[in-house]
Amino acid sequence: MFKDLLDIAILLTDGVKYTATLFVVTMIGSLPLGLLLTFMRTGKSRILRGITGFYVYIMRGTPLLLQLYFFYYGLPFIPGMRNVLVLDRFTAAMLAFVLNYAAYFCEIFRGGMISVDKGQYEAARVLGFSKGQTLGKIVLPQMLRVSLPSIANESITLVKDTALVTAIGVTEILYFAKATVNRQAVFTAYPVAAVFYLVMTFAITKLFDYLERRYSF
Amino acid sequence: MSILEVNSLKKSFGEVNVLDGVSFTVEKGDAIAVIGPSGSGKSTLLRCLIGLERADGGDIVINGKNLMQNGVYVNDRQMRDVCSCMGMVFQSFNLFPHMTVMDNLIAAPVSVRKEDKASAIARAEKLLADVELSDKANVYPSSLSGGQKQRVAIARALMMEPDILLFDEPTSSLDPQLTAEVLAVMKQLAEKRMTMIVVTHEMGFAREAANKVMFMGDKTILQMGSTEDIFERPSDPRIKEFIQSIL
Ligand SMILES: Nc1ncnc2c1ncn2[C@@H]1O[C@H](COP(=O)(O)OP(=O)(O)OP(=O)(O)O)[C@@H](O)[C@H]1O
Ligand SMILES: [Mg+2]
Repeated sequence: MFKDLLDIAILLTDGVKYTATLFVVTMIGSLPLGLLLTFMRTGKSRILRGITGFYVYIMRGTPLLLQLYFFYYGLPFIPGMRNVLVLDRFTAAMLAFVLNYAAYFCEIFRGGMISVDKGQYEAARVLGFSKGQTLGKIVLPQMLRVSLPSIANESITLVKDTALVTAIGVTEILYFAKATVNRQAVFTAYPVAAVFYLVMTFAITKLFDYLERRYSF
Repeated sequence: MSILEVNSLKKSFGEVNVLDGVSFTVEKGDAIAVIGPSGSGKSTLLRCLIGLERADGGDIVINGKNLMQNGVYVNDRQMRDVCSCMGMVFQSFNLFPHMTVMDNLIAAPVSVRKEDKASAIARAEKLLADVELSDKANVYPSSLSGGQKQRVAIARALMMEPDILLFDEPTSSLDPQLTAEVLAVMKQLAEKRMTMIVVTHEMGFAREAANKVMFMGDKTILQMGSTEDIFERPSDPRIKEFIQSIL
């Protein structure tokens, strides 16, 4: 029994590579992109504000699964892109995830930015800080700190969302679990896969707990 | 030469006229208490002086340098330069919550004036001792009382060695005991001949520490003069009424 479980776990380990890479790439890509979108969304230019508002609306208003299909199956249908925009499965997955999560992070950061009191900008100004210094030294640290719990929440959602890419055939954990169930007719692959996800969410929870304590003020 | 000259200052928020022809001068070493009813434009006046608000008309000359002439401001760069000789203390303290007390004090000297960190720390330690908060250098503002926060805010403003220090109701959100400790610090500054403009409801400060009182009402200065002038010989029935109402 125990040996069976271990065998399944070893099988699934092959998928961890993709799950973990997708998670890391999405975080590394979407956090800075989300921050950039926040600056555009809250900036002076009405055009940029409009564009980012629309972008966020599209990304949050449509299913991530649909976006995955779009980037994997849909792009080549764009006229003139037949041979140019053919992405391999995993690239399409990473692209869709980064673009999608950036929209969510944009809104989280925007919330954090709004929470910074206007008195902070005024204090910075009368002390002579430039606009850039005010943003970098006063506003950004506060807004990141305020955003931490929501980012933690979103990261855990991301761990689970990685399973969606099985739909376009990326061989991540769930893909192997399903294959194992189909092939060996043993249902236990699903609970084993669940444990994999739980381990990851546990680690992420702990990491963010630490960050929240480390940067409390 | 006066350290600050304001002439025919005008300011509206949309349709609402808030300052309509405010003129006064401040001499080096003056401690001016600005009093007057709520909504009379006291905060707006201070904010126009330090560039947090843009006035619509008039002249402002600080330390001999134009900030605004005939309703036209100097460019942003010059504005920064002219305003850099002023500091401001807010009712809501506005300390940086993510920085320790020490970092609050040295942030601007180090980033704005490019002062050497060690020398900024040395000056900060002295100022913290002056406001009796040496033991709080390494704590975050959230663990301070309101009175302590405001004393840190004063020390932070002093770190930039301003020629003029503006206060907008520095004690209005404090209970009486904490008010006293902040007023004590401000009195010391007045005794050291720091040039100060203090919007306050504390008549104690106006009477004891200020050498001049400016009374604002109806979008302008109703009377400005020595403390005795205002309290003993108010020139306007509105001033008499206000003084009676708060005593
Ligand atoms: N940003 C703003 N936009 C619109 N109106 C404003 C703004 N700031 C101030 N006002 C208006 O200007 C007038 C003067 O406000 P100000 O805050 O300068 O008064 P004050 O004398 O400081 O009053 P208080 O004693 O209550 O602090 C008020 O009628 C206020 O509503
Ligand atoms: Mg006010």
